Amino acid sequence: MPHEVAIYGVLVPGLLPVFLGCLLLMVLLDLVVGRLGLYRHVWHPALFRFAVFVCLFGAAGLLLIH
Amino acid sequence: MSTVPAIDSVPAMSRWPWLAEFLAGERRAWIFVGKSLLAIYTAAWLAMWLQLEQPATTMITVTIVMNPHSGMVLAKSFYRAIGTLAGSLFGLALMSVFPQQRELFLLSLSLWVGLCAGGATLYRNFMSYGFVLAGYTAAIVTLPAINNPLNVFDSAVMRVSEVLLGLLVAAVVSDLVLPQRLRMVLRQGAREQFAKFTDFVRGSTGGLIPRAQMEQVHLASVRTAVHLEDMRASVIFEDPEANVRSTRMRLLNQRYMAAGTSFQSLHHLINRLQRGGNPAVANTLITLYRPIGVALSPEPVQQHDPAVLAARLAECVAQLPAQVAASRASLVEPAVLLEFDTGAALLQRFATELRDFSALEVSLRGKQARGTVERVHFRRANDIAGAAIAVLRTFLTMGVLSMFWLASGWAYGASAMLLATIFSGLLAASPNPISAATHTLFGYVAGMLAAFVVVYGLLPGSDDFAALIAASAAFLLIGPYLTTRDTLPGVGAGYSLGFVYILALKNPMVYDPTHAFNDAIAQVAGIVLAGLAFVFVPTVIGSAWQRARQVRRMRELVALVANAPLGGLAWRFESLSRDLFQQVVTHTRPGSDESRSLLAWGLAVQESGRAVLELRRELADSHDLAPAARAAATAAVQAVGRLYHQPDAVRWHDADAAVREAIIATAAVPAVRQYLYQLHSALRDDESPFAMYIPPSSPESVHAT
Repeated sequence: MPHEVAIYGVLVPGLLPVFLGCLLLMVLLDLVVGRLGLYRHVWHPALFRFAVFVCLFGAAGLLLIH
Repeated sequence: MSTVPAIDSVPAMSRWPWLAEFLAGERRAWIFVGKSLLAIYTAAWLAMWLQLEQPATTMITVTIVMNPHSGMVLAKSFYRAIGTLAGSLFGLALMSVFPQQRELFLLSLSLWVGLCAGGATLYRNFMSYGFVLAGYTAAIVTLPAINNPLNVFDSAVMRVSEVLLGLLVAAVVSDLVLPQRLRMVLRQGAREQFAKFTDFVRGSTGGLIPRAQMEQVHLASVRTAVHLEDMRASVIFEDPEANVRSTRMRLLNQRYMAAGTSFQSLHHLINRLQRGGNPAVANTLITLYRPIGVALSPEPVQQHDPAVLAARLAECVAQLPAQVAASRASLVEPAVLLEFDTGAALLQRFATELRDFSALEVSLRGKQARGTVERVHFRRANDIAGAAIAVLRTFLTMGVLSMFWLASGWAYGASAMLLATIFSGLLAASPNPISAATHTLFGYVAGMLAAFVVVYGLLPGSDDFAALIAASAAFLLIGPYLTTRDTLPGVGAGYSLGFVYILALKNPMVYDPTHAFNDAIAQVAGIVLAGLAFVFVPTVIGSAWQRARQVRRMRELVALVANAPLGGLAWRFESLSRDLFQQVVTHTRPGSDESRSLLAWGLAVQESGRAVLELRRELADSHDLAPAARAAATAAVQAVGRLYHQPDAVRWHDADAAVREAIIATAAVPAVRQYLYQLHSALRDDESPFAMYIPPSSPESVHAT
């Protein structure tokens, strides 16, 4: 994974598409988990979701950069 | 209306109940202040750490989006992010089209900002922020680079990064740190809506509801319906569970409105029968109505449990046809059968809608959202003329500023333009913009003075971030605190913005009093001009002119229902009529003549519009109808539509005659006839706005012929 990718000649950080992809993944995850009502078993749903997002983004970013 | 036993969760406060209340309010306010400061400083620190050019932009962004409810922040941030991207793209495009022609460039920029301000007035939720920001970003991206067009791309990337960073920090902080959930308010509101509605239906088994009470109930229910929709649009950003339930919540609100309309129509009919010398039919209908009341009255603890109510209502709906047939047989006079059939059909429709409403409420309260439901939308009624005036006003403001800037070679013109852009957008949707502008200006100047003290008195000598916080926190927190005071609208926001602008945190910090003073003067000039524009091109929001237009539009909805294609028309009608009603009502003084006339029209539109709609559906469904009967019924629909389009005595006579002819022509089709009868009786309601057209000695009965 390059550190910078060119989109129509514009250099953007390589992590940007990863970030957007993780956001999309998070939306899908929210749809599924929200439908099943699983967030009710979590103490602080917002904190939990934030943590899940950090894990996703961190893992994807590290995997792709190394 | 039966009363719900009030739940006193608050124990009897000792000697000073006001003190507890005061402390609770202060607690909320200080939590908000703490969160705002945390978000602002975190954003500033991150912006410096990431070596962005102007951490001030990030801080300003946070200042604008912070709001006590987390759902609001996320919603705002979402629309702001879209607006920011759109604005920066437009700014870039504009700069590349007119890099050398400054006149054309400023003209197009003014037009864009004007269009954005107009768009902002069209939406009453946070989408309007998206528009404000689209204008603002186009300006902040291009104006600093105007002397050096080649830099515009770098400038755009920097500004967009700063703004997005601010949005991200504000969203994360307000969602994670002591969140005050809007979801709870929404859930509470939805439960109250259900409880109030069932209580009212249960309490009205007596049959007779005075028109004045009906008006009040309509008013309250419209307010709830619109308010719940407003909240739903924000809560879906806050809570994933609410998001998957969003479609269902929309449908619930629509069913609530539909049931409300049927309920009103039924009671109008019963009231009219009782007044018009047919109390026997009215009493039979009231007897038929009683089972619904019984179905809604289980044990007191279960009275607001939708699962119990839905089951009981389903049973009641199943039994209704047999009861209707029995009552029909007991009526001795055949002449009153038309009245009875109309009432009985309305009653059954209402019972079915109430059952569906309760059943949906049951599925919403369940832990899991199963299956899919029909997709409906709450239509908003927007006034294009109001938006057009906002576009014109903002365009003139920006145009005058640009011309002055070009003609005078003012070095700080860009600052004035920028502030005028922000406040033109923010003030455009305000109902009282001149006072809001004055308040904001006052706050802004106070904020700038405070920032001068901090920058030139306290900051020099401090050399790290902790020292920066120590020097500025005490002054900064005044802004968010003032925002929580309802009595001073705009002052808090103005203070925060003014403070952060003059603080102008840079990396590294620059101390330049001359520049700061010139900038301050330019910014104040920008705000003053944005506010002054409202004197020359006054706002139309909430003006008598706009109210009159909106009432007319509400009436014309009946004409729309009479002519538009049928698909989705029911939802459109129910939500549009309520949205318009709510918009007019918020700007009408309660108890005035205008308010009375508005309420009367609101009820009439609701009843006749729904009847016309059901009639058209019935006509579309019954294929073996005689052509003459169909033609007569269609003519009646058209005549009623024309009457509501422009009510006068001649049109009333036409409509009355057309409906009566159609009733005679459709004698063989009771399913169509009952809606015609409902229209007929609504036209002849002596408490409706048509009362003045009813001739004193005209034939009331439709049976004589």
